Amino acid sequence: MDNKDFSDEEIVEKVRTSDRNLYAVIIERYQKRLLRYANNLIKDEDKAIDIVQTSFIKAFTDLNSFNTKKKFSSWIYRIVHNETINLIKKYHKETPLPEDFDFSSDENIEEDFGKKETTIKVEKCLKEIPLLYSEPLSLYYLEDKSYQEVSDILRIPMGTVAIRINRAKKLMKKLCQKI
Amino acid sequence: MSKDIKKLTDNIMNKIDQGKIKMKPKMYFIIGSILTFVGLVSSVIVSTFLFGLVKFSLRSHGPMGQYRLDQILSSFPWWTIIFAIVGLVLGIWFIRQYDFSYKAKPWLIIVGFVLAVIVAGSLIDAMGINDTLLKRGPMKGFMHNYCQENNIQLGSGCRK
Repeated sequence: MDNKDFSDEEIVEKVRTSDRNLYAVIIERYQKRLLRYANNLIKDEDKAIDIVQTSFIKAFTDLNSFNTKKKFSSWIYRIVHNETINLIKKYHKETPLPEDFDFSSDENIEEDFGKKETTIKVEKCLKEIPLLYSEPLSLYYLEDKSYQEVSDILRIPMGTVAIRINRAKKLMKKLCQKI
Repeated sequence: MSKDIKKLTDNIMNKIDQGKIKMKPKMYFIIGSILTFVGLVSSVIVSTFLFGLVKFSLRSHGPMGQYRLDQILSSFPWWTIIFAIVGLVLGIWFIRQYDFSYKAKPWLIIVGFVLAVIVAGSLIDAMGINDTLLKRGPMKGFMHNYCQENNIQLGSGCRK
């Protein structure tokens, strides 16, 4: 049976109990996705690589705290989220929200464009949106996470995830119309 | 500084092979959880006693009110405060090391904690455990002496 056939959780169990070299499979599976995610948050490729490397190291050292009944994906994304937030706090680099911005619009952007088009717009527009809104947007559209997974990663209720994504879409429409 | 993402796997795996990165043993996390649990239980005990004490002091205006309050204070399990502080601090410190694991529901923990304290404190007070503590065991001697010194008739809770 090839390693590709094993789930993340099964591989983690093998890394913990018998073959730590299998951790390379986990890194290969997640490095590109995590790098994109970290880069979308920190907007600096070198720092994003550092974050992902540190996150994989932390994940390995704390692998015994991971509950294999839960999703490894949410766990590793959470680690990258924490590392990124720590770094952002350190450098105080954050896109401010325009003071006169109004969320009152009831327009549904997905109705206008569809999810695929929205995803393309998100990719182009993400840098213009504050982290509070860009992060759930990035997880939902670019990382293809469900509301439940976004809620698990960011540790916010699902309702808050929905509100932030909705607001992010409105922000995107107002701030990125020219893109 | 330009870095190559392709080297990421090699970098990390080399560090693992060379023993520069080591997996923390399961025991580390078990101890963290136990310490937090002990800290939490001790906090409930401390808070419950304090709650009972407050209720008791509010209605301790009769004869010996001050004396009974002093007795409860002297029999208060102060060691639990040390357990509570040490356990919680160490437990939280341990957990913060792997805090990124799962979504916790802090409001549920806080509500559960407050409810446990109020229910346990009220039960202790309603069942008269505070009073029983004064009348049995080592407290009985204090009660007896106090009643004799003040010429108060013994029996029926040492009432005049």
